[in-house]
Amino acid sequence: MKRKSERAITLIVIATGISSVVTQLLIIREFLAQFQGNEFVIALVLFNWLIIGGIGILLAHIAIKGFWRATASRLGWLSFCLACLPALQIMAIRGLRDYFFIYGSSVGFYPTLAYTFITIAPYGLLLGFVLPYSLFVLRLEKPDYPGAFIYMTDNIGDVTGGALFSFILVYLVTPLQAVFLSNLPLLAAACFLFISIRRHHPAAFIGTGLALAILLAGVFMEPASLATSKGEPIYYHESRYGRIAVYKDKEQFTLFMDGTPVFSSQNLTMAEETIHYPLSQLDNPQKTLIISAQGGMLEELQKYRPARIDYVELDPEVSSVLFRFGLIKDIPGLHVIHQDARAYLTKSDEIYDAIIVNLPEPETFQINRFFTDRFFAVAKQHLAGSGILSFSVQGFDSYLAEPQVRKISSLYNTVSEHFEHVLLLPGERIFFLCSDNPINLDIPACLAEKGISTSYISGFYYGNLTNERIAGLNNLLDPAAPKNIDESPQLMRLMFLQWFAKFSTSPNRFIVGLTVLLIIYLVRIAREEFVLFSTGFMTMGSEILVIFAFQIFFGYIYFQIGLIITVFLAGLLPGAWFGEKLRGSGKHMLIITDCLLISLLSFFILAMKYGGDRLPVVSFLLFGFVISLMCGFQFPVALRLRGGNNRVVTRAFSADLIGAAFGILLTSVALIPYLGIVWATAGLIGLKLTSLTIMATRHEKNK
Amino acid sequence: MKKISRRKFLYCSAAVVSTAMPFHPFWPFTGTDSEASRSVDIRGRIVKGGAPAKLWKWSHEGFLYKKLKENRVVCGICPNRCVLAPGDLSVCRSKVNIDGTLYSMTYGNPCSMHVDPIEKKPLFHFKPKTLAFSLAAAGCNFRCLNCQNWEISQVKPWQVRHIELFPAEVVIEAKRAGAKSIAYTYSEPTTFFEYMIDIARLARGNGLCNLWVSNGYINQKPLLELCKVLDAANVNLKAYSDAIYRKLNGGRLQPVLNTFMTLHEQGVHFEVTNLVVPGYVDDADMAKRMCEWILKNLGPDYPLHFLRFFPRYKLDRLAPTPISTLTRFRELAMQEGIHYVYVGNVPGHEGNNTYCHNCGKLLVERKGYLIPIYNLVGNKCKFCNSIIPGVWIDDC
Repeated sequence: MKRKSERAITLIVIATGISSVVTQLLIIREFLAQFQGNEFVIALVLFNWLIIGGIGILLAHIAIKGFWRATASRLGWLSFCLACLPALQIMAIRGLRDYFFIYGSSVGFYPTLAYTFITIAPYGLLLGFVLPYSLFVLRLEKPDYPGAFIYMTDNIGDVTGGALFSFILVYLVTPLQAVFLSNLPLLAAACFLFISIRRHHPAAFIGTGLALAILLAGVFMEPASLATSKGEPIYYHESRYGRIAVYKDKEQFTLFMDGTPVFSSQNLTMAEETIHYPLSQLDNPQKTLIISAQGGMLEELQKYRPARIDYVELDPEVSSVLFRFGLIKDIPGLHVIHQDARAYLTKSDEIYDAIIVNLPEPETFQINRFFTDRFFAVAKQHLAGSGILSFSVQGFDSYLAEPQVRKISSLYNTVSEHFEHVLLLPGERIFFLCSDNPINLDIPACLAEKGISTSYISGFYYGNLTNERIAGLNNLLDPAAPKNIDESPQLMRLMFLQWFAKFSTSPNRFIVGLTVLLIIYLVRIAREEFVLFSTGFMTMGSEILVIFAFQIFFGYIYFQIGLIITVFLAGLLPGAWFGEKLRGSGKHMLIITDCLLISLLSFFILAMKYGGDRLPVVSFLLFGFVISLMCGFQFPVALRLRGGNNRVVTRAFSADLIGAAFGILLTSVALIPYLGIVWATAGLIGLKLTSLTIMATRHEKNK
Repeated sequence: MKKISRRKFLYCSAAVVSTAMPFHPFWPFTGTDSEASRSVDIRGRIVKGGAPAKLWKWSHEGFLYKKLKENRVVCGICPNRCVLAPGDLSVCRSKVNIDGTLYSMTYGNPCSMHVDPIEKKPLFHFKPKTLAFSLAAAGCNFRCLNCQNWEISQVKPWQVRHIELFPAEVVIEAKRAGAKSIAYTYSEPTTFFEYMIDIARLARGNGLCNLWVSNGYINQKPLLELCKVLDAANVNLKAYSDAIYRKLNGGRLQPVLNTFMTLHEQGVHFEVTNLVVPGYVDDADMAKRMCEWILKNLGPDYPLHFLRFFPRYKLDRLAPTPISTLTRFRELAMQEGIHYVYVGNVPGHEGNNTYCHNCGKLLVERKGYLIPIYNLVGNKCKFCNSIIPGVWIDDC
């Protein structure tokens, strides 16, 4: 192998890393925009991505043994395909959704699983295939080329891609523009490879042209791919937090966030309920805090002539769009604060007469933080003596189903620890009114006394919120329901149950199938592969835990969470480098690093138990870096222990990816919601202890 | 050709099967409940072996069914005409075949019970300002993607909390609540037909009216039986399109149109609701065709309610209906000749009020469920003496 082509292949691996991470982040955002944005779907997409990557790696090994020997030119062609696929994949995700599913409808668990699997598969399989294939091409000339070098090279691309997307592309370009930009290096590297091997020049030229044409077509077809069959799209922007689109239908503007209509210019009922239910209870509300707003709310609030309204919105793009399209009105005394509302409240010294939380259902770790014990305590500290806190969750028409009974019971038990009076009002949304003063049920009378006119409440309240309905709802509450606390988000598992109930389905078939496949896999892998599997599992699990914990203590701060994700990738490279350089007993190295990982997780438990909020931000970054350092370190050591041939390398890569896939899925949707943060970490320690035991009982044959 | 070992063959087969597993919802021959396989017709399916092992206290032999060979039965209540083998559960999830006999599992076990203003049904031309004792048992013969009561309509009777209330007790409770009528509502009352008709017969004898709030998906024979004791109905005409019925509701249009004809022929007062779902039902041509059919077959006097859609249940990725669309539909229907056209789910809209079809004056002003202005004398307009269709006086 010539040095020049070796360099070209190295560049291909780096460029593939860049393309893959940018594509992965874009695909997650795309699926969130097309499907329900709950934690289950996020975990499912990542799980599919990693599993398919793992299958792709195994396929590479099978292919080069039989029908598709490794050659540099084939790698070049594969790279062209890899560069084109992300654009096609994103277009397919958008275009096929309404083909497979009914327009305007949400989709349940199994169809989501199938759709994400099918649409990820072409790119994911090829991506998994290319990485070991590059190594096999390199080994044609240098049979002893270390597998760990490919791992490190890929990691350089991964870190670059992650940082490029999180800190640059997300601010500047649309998804298909990002695809275009992030795949240019791969195209260039593929061209360079063809030049370096002095073959297929005309074909390479055509290949590059075709790939460029597809990428550019994606950029130009982006607006068309976002159009829906109803309403005129008049605004579209990809913010750091998701997709924002405004559609106009007749005179009505509707703001869609990640494909779901959240605010409409004509939703008077919701605006009146959200504002007047709490404020009707106060004599003269002068200072109000609103956590997220929706159409018509501020006009209703203005009827009280408040001196000051603090309106906190995490995403500046959302508030800007709300004002721009008249969904909310700029009224005197309004202060807009762009910050995580919980972080704002924690740091603020303001005292309010009312705090009105207007957030979606607690389906994600991020939103759940506004429905927990600690949040309610913070809110209470910022309320005047007679102040009121109000929030709402999805309601019902005539019957409250069991998962919802448990959800509102958990919420009631959590919030009633902090307020003497908590009243639940039924309706399309169930409103929680929480105060230390008694709450007056006759809201229309309260409003009439203040001289405030309403359209919905004055006419419909007495028929929709009869004493019998209010009592019926409040009597359903179960005092034994567990509280929703930051460290153990009960509500999220109830939201999962509700989601499954909505689609009359159960995850049991999936769990059984997955367990069987996992057992078959684990029985067949070597001990060193199990170490890599468990480390991959633990690394992804830890990343989820750290992001979850960070949000609890510091709020959702985009830049810092981006940094955490980056350091979880960045440690792999120096770790692998050290692992490659260090000599000595591989078995002992794996045992020592496993011990270190267990110690780190134990420290994490201690930190969570005793004052994680007092830790500096840098400690979270350091934790992530060291975890990934250990993970990176173990890879070359395990390879060396197994001999490092092609078969071993592919199996090692697969073990790492499959472990990561299970780590992300189980930690997100099972360990944290069902066990809480401390026991979830203990679960990861248990896995690592298993790995440690397996390694410690291994007898080194080659001594 | 290169030979493949048995072990390799087994590995490859296992890989193919496991890779294909997630595609399960897309398999054309699958019996899955997935969206993909139901993209054209989402009608419900019989649950094979879905019946409980034995009957319970709230089981009652079916009102109308036919016994077939091999202990199978066919339910005759609704156009689904479920053919159930022993142990099967019907599409509506409330009928089972136990040893060759059809049973309703929803007799005396309502899961939802409230006292509502009659305007909430909505019934605007039937005893305004009165209360309706409203109840529901679990089940529905449709699969509407936007169902606002899916927690009771899309489940089995034994999956919900219920109270025990046999027909005689329902009548007592309704009277105790001060209601003038009993409304069979929320879920689909056709699925608890046996319970409903027994209550209705007793209610009629006790001076209470019977209100049927339904999707209208019922066969003529049970409907005729029901009409004998029915005072008013609100029937939801989901769309004047069979394709939309199949796609969004899992039903068919023609049986619903037949129901309107039967109610008309039997002289039952009814009101028509039409939920204007953006992207599906907000087609002015379709609304016009619907009005033409109403005028031709039912006449101009039955009130028509255009309701505003809000994202609900599975149909939660659509914007609400713009108010101007509803206003335009109301104008269109009135231009076509329908006398009383209302706009629902829009507080404060002019279309909430009743105007005399002859003199155009305001007869009933509605502010939500409150009626501040009422300009009828008996069943006549106070201003021009025209008879206003409906039941305005207490004559149950």
